[in-house]
Amino acid sequence: MGLPKDGFVGLSSKIRSSLKPINRLNILTALASIIMLTQIPWLTVLIAFPLVAAIAIPFLPDQNGKTIRWYALSTALIELALMVYAFWGSYTFELADLQLAESYPWVPQLGLNWSLAVDGLSMPLILLTGFINALAIFAAWNVTKKTRLFYCLMLILLSAQIGVFAAQDMLLFFLMWEIELIPVYLLISIWGGPQRQYAATKFILYTAVGSIFILVAGLAMAFYGDTTTFDMAALAQKHYPLAFEMLSYTGLLIAFGVKLPIFPFHTWLPDAHGEASAPVSMVLAGVLLKMGGYGLIRMNIQMLPHAHIHLAPILAVLGVVNIVYGALNAFSQGNLKRCLACSSISHMGFVLIGIATLSNLGLNGAVLQMVSHGLIAASLFFLAGVTYDRTHTLTIDKMGGMAKLMPTVFALFTISGMASLALPGMSGFVGELTVFLGIANTAVYTSSFKVMVILLAAVGLILTPVYLLSMLRRVFYGKAGDVAASAWIDAQPREIFIAVCLLLPIIGIGLYPKMVMQTYDVTTMAIAQQLEQEVTVVAQQGNFSKALALQEFHAPDLHASGQKMLGVMNSNL
Amino acid sequence: MESLYQYAWLIPVLPLAGAMILGLGLISFNQATNTLRRPSATFIVSMLGGAMALSFAILWSQVQGHEPYLVTFEWAAAGNFHLNMGYTIDHLTSMMLVVVTTVAFLVMVYTDGYMAHDPGYVRFYAYLSLFSFSMLGLVMSPNLVQIYIFWELVGMCSYLLVGFWFDRKPAAAAAQKAFVTNRVGDFGLLLGILGLFWATNSFEFDIIGIRLQELIASGALSATLVSIFAILVFLGPVAKSAQFPLHVWLPDAMEGPTPISALIHAATMVAAGVFLIARMFPVFADIPTVMTVIAWTGALTALLGASIAMTQNDIKKGLAYSTISQLGYMVMAMGIGAYSAGLFHLMTHAYFKAMLFLGSGSVIHGMEDVVGHDPALAQDMRLMGGLRKYMPATAITFLIGCLAISGIPPFAGFWSKDEILGAAFEANPALWFIGWATAGITAFYMFRMYFSTFEGEFRGNQQELRTQIKQLSLPAFGPGAMDPHELEAHDSHEHGHHASEPHESPITMTLPLMVLAVPSLAIGLLGTPFANYFEGFVYAPGEPVPDIAEIAAEFEWSEFLPMAGSSIGIALIGITLASLMYISRKIDAGAIASQIRPLYEFSLNKWYLDDFYDRVFVRGCRRLARQVLEVDYNVVDGVVNFTGFVAVISGEGLKYFENGRAQFYALIVFFAVLGFVILSV
Repeated sequence: MGLPKDGFVGLSSKIRSSLKPINRLNILTALASIIMLTQIPWLTVLIAFPLVAAIAIPFLPDQNGKTIRWYALSTALIELALMVYAFWGSYTFELADLQLAESYPWVPQLGLNWSLAVDGLSMPLILLTGFINALAIFAAWNVTKKTRLFYCLMLILLSAQIGVFAAQDMLLFFLMWEIELIPVYLLISIWGGPQRQYAATKFILYTAVGSIFILVAGLAMAFYGDTTTFDMAALAQKHYPLAFEMLSYTGLLIAFGVKLPIFPFHTWLPDAHGEASAPVSMVLAGVLLKMGGYGLIRMNIQMLPHAHIHLAPILAVLGVVNIVYGALNAFSQGNLKRCLACSSISHMGFVLIGIATLSNLGLNGAVLQMVSHGLIAASLFFLAGVTYDRTHTLTIDKMGGMAKLMPTVFALFTISGMASLALPGMSGFVGELTVFLGIANTAVYTSSFKVMVILLAAVGLILTPVYLLSMLRRVFYGKAGDVAASAWIDAQPREIFIAVCLLLPIIGIGLYPKMVMQTYDVTTMAIAQQLEQEVTVVAQQGNFSKALALQEFHAPDLHASGQKMLGVMNSNL
Repeated sequence: MESLYQYAWLIPVLPLAGAMILGLGLISFNQATNTLRRPSATFIVSMLGGAMALSFAILWSQVQGHEPYLVTFEWAAAGNFHLNMGYTIDHLTSMMLVVVTTVAFLVMVYTDGYMAHDPGYVRFYAYLSLFSFSMLGLVMSPNLVQIYIFWELVGMCSYLLVGFWFDRKPAAAAAQKAFVTNRVGDFGLLLGILGLFWATNSFEFDIIGIRLQELIASGALSATLVSIFAILVFLGPVAKSAQFPLHVWLPDAMEGPTPISALIHAATMVAAGVFLIARMFPVFADIPTVMTVIAWTGALTALLGASIAMTQNDIKKGLAYSTISQLGYMVMAMGIGAYSAGLFHLMTHAYFKAMLFLGSGSVIHGMEDVVGHDPALAQDMRLMGGLRKYMPATAITFLIGCLAISGIPPFAGFWSKDEILGAAFEANPALWFIGWATAGITAFYMFRMYFSTFEGEFRGNQQELRTQIKQLSLPAFGPGAMDPHELEAHDSHEHGHHASEPHESPITMTLPLMVLAVPSLAIGLLGTPFANYFEGFVYAPGEPVPDIAEIAAEFEWSEFLPMAGSSIGIALIGITLASLMYISRKIDAGAIASQIRPLYEFSLNKWYLDDFYDRVFVRGCRRLARQVLEVDYNVVDGVVNFTGFVAVISGEGLKYFENGRAQFYALIVFFAVLGFVILSV
């Protein structure tokens, strides 16, 4: 069939003409050509697919609980494959703009649009979501209690997570954000540890109260000015007065701060992790925390840049507090998963500092740190779950000497621990190094402020091995502890497979970070440029807060000749 | 010739590939891999052998005068920031490559004998290979960031290898201590790198050096700031090369198997600090403050190491403190600008100290037959003695090592140490005096070690001595202390199987010792003051190429003889003293010790630094963490729980507002938004 190569009109007329002689073959070919020539609403497909699959679960025949898990796993894998295919085929890495955009009016009375799109910021996170969720479902292989409900919730959760990262409508974002809470609440409160009710309630209270702030700030921004719109790009175009921006910013910061989590809104996280089962922890630490960081960049920076310029120092301070406070907390935890949860708090501090740098390098590092921590935390929580399956306790003091019984688990745990303490050659190091370089080279802070931030954040570099290696020592080294039983089997092939799947990208990014960086670099650069313009404008107006832009001694200018022979830094190299 | 350089990346990658293959095998097919012991070992050793052959070829080509070679590729990019990685080959690198590969090769051969009965034999080879990769990558790094990467990787390998026997509690503690102490140094190194990058926008050594000078000259950057950055960078070597005050990890690291003590904690990794100072020489050399700090740190460390080594009874601990002391010499040499001398000592020390450690391993191996697999007994020199009869090859090579480290001509250590002392005398006689006195102490403790191990009567079968030592080695506090009955039962159980005499080690262990004896004897001749080929090859960057003939022409016996004579003299005094105390027993060491009790205790307790760190940092950190956790529970979480409580109370009141009408809720949200907008405008 000689279909016109482009133009939707030509195509639809062709379909109409082909429909005249009612011929099934013709319709099929026409549909096929639509799929080939027009854009498939990929993002809608990605969100809808797990959801539809989840709805079908109650009606599936199930022989001794094995069909469902295969069904759920294959759904997640197909979803991942679809993602890779969609982004591979339709996403252009060189463009900073929103891509794969689609928008349909959903509830026109409310102005709610089903509008989705991705850019360099959300695309890696969506891929991470697909990857972690597939592995989490595979990790939940031995769930015996209410299998149908469990996998159903996992798939709905997957759908909602993608929705959060892809939504371009403030209301839709809020909706997705709320939808994602419910499965997590149920997953903790039904399949959790002994204290699950307390943990789940705490989780839902914190995040639900936090999300009200998204709604209020979103509505305020939508109704501000002449036009009422929920479109995120349009909201970013509006000019708000500074006081309004500051208020909205604070509201969003609270909402995302609960999620990330930022001190002092973090206390739900150790409880939730301590009680959640391993697959839920994997998703929680691997993806859900990143929604906080994503929200901060997408809304706080992109929509409210003026407020961000003024409040960024606070973010940097909070980041430092997170790093040190989280690390110290982790050091004195007696519960394996609570310790890892506090370690997540500590690592998220680097994301905050990266966001606060207002520079391309810092933002780049923040995104990299999110992706990297997603993989590392998932791997650690998974292995903690593997350990728990054998010990049936998470109390560190009751374990000990397990290396002898489970050498493979020990090896994998050590590698993940090394990744978490930012060992070079693994992704954590690159993320943290980039954040450090970003804060060291940003032009907006005074030197004394920068020195303090770098110094205290670097203290985290010493504290991280202190608590991680202590944990490894207490769990694995020495003579066998109280609960040790020689009947324990070492890691099984499925478990090794999952851990290796997580470790391979960790090491891959560590060895060649450009591989990941180039997927989002243009976007972070565009955001950083936008911020830089705002900084110059604000600096010219002269109403800068004291902590900013008063450069006592900034990086000295280099000789022009020196500039040319920049060895490492030369862009021509 | 060019293709040789194009494929130089194979030098680190060959051992890496070996480690990866074994590692994957161990994780996926644990049992199968563990049965393939010899094939695995042969595979790893031949991989490293390939790397060694390439290294020799490159050294040869560099000696022939080939240009330095540099390859880079873009590793990370963010906007206009680009970070390159790659490898560089120059004189220094080629020398280090040969040192590292030869020592690693011999240690790997030796391992076959030493670890023959260990269930972790294959894993040990995988770790060794991974370490070789990291160390080779380190010496080939073209910029600071890449050095930092491999710097941490060698630290991780050290962690894995120190904690190799993971069922031993002290090994686990030592591994963690080593890693954390090194992280403290890396903390400084990273901050220094960031500072230098901020100032110069570069990670490359010579560019940083040039720009810093420009900036200081133009007044754009204060010299104080530059000194701070440089000292921060120097913190890295302080930790890695076990300099005061971060040396505390190295003696504890002796918990690891002896082959790695030889490879990592004597010959290569600990020398990485000196190597980094050498690489940073273009930056450091022009900042006098930093050079002074480096020189005095080195001198102090040399003295500290030697003074503690005098009273150690554990043969490996003694050697460890001796390593600290010798590293102090190298760092001091760097600090006084004696670039070639410091690196020359690095090379000679790598060979003779590796040999000494391997020798001590051979001794321990022999002792284990008598006293069992108990490090507290097998490594204690009070139980040794007279071993020369049983293990002649080990004894002779150990003696060569002792002569080399004591600085007796023509052994290797004499030439390198004497060159350092000569340079120190010109720079600052006080530094020379410390170095000179330390040389005497070195000779004393090394021969104390040699005499009490290899000469006299064998004491390994004295039961009371054993029990006494065993009880001393146990922790005297805490519920973990062992029950004495348990100890006796343990002992009697062990005795049944053991021989009453130690024996010589197998050929795979003695052969590396004999091979290492050759450079320990002769390699010093490369750097004699009358024909200093070494300085003609490895010289400070930016300096004119030294002409060997010219240096030789300037050489004057009248200058050389007093210097050399005085150092030989003090070494001989040390040896004589040791022989009087430990062979002929004319002087009672115990009596002297009790006469200068405080000094003796000070040395025996390692200057009380470990106790101090434990009290201040370890416990302080734990206490702080506990307090933070309490705050988290009671304050941060408490506020939330209180709010929850208030919410429940107010919920009771608000219940009456709940009428289930959606409009009502919409109204509330509307008013909230309205209030929000009004408030902000």
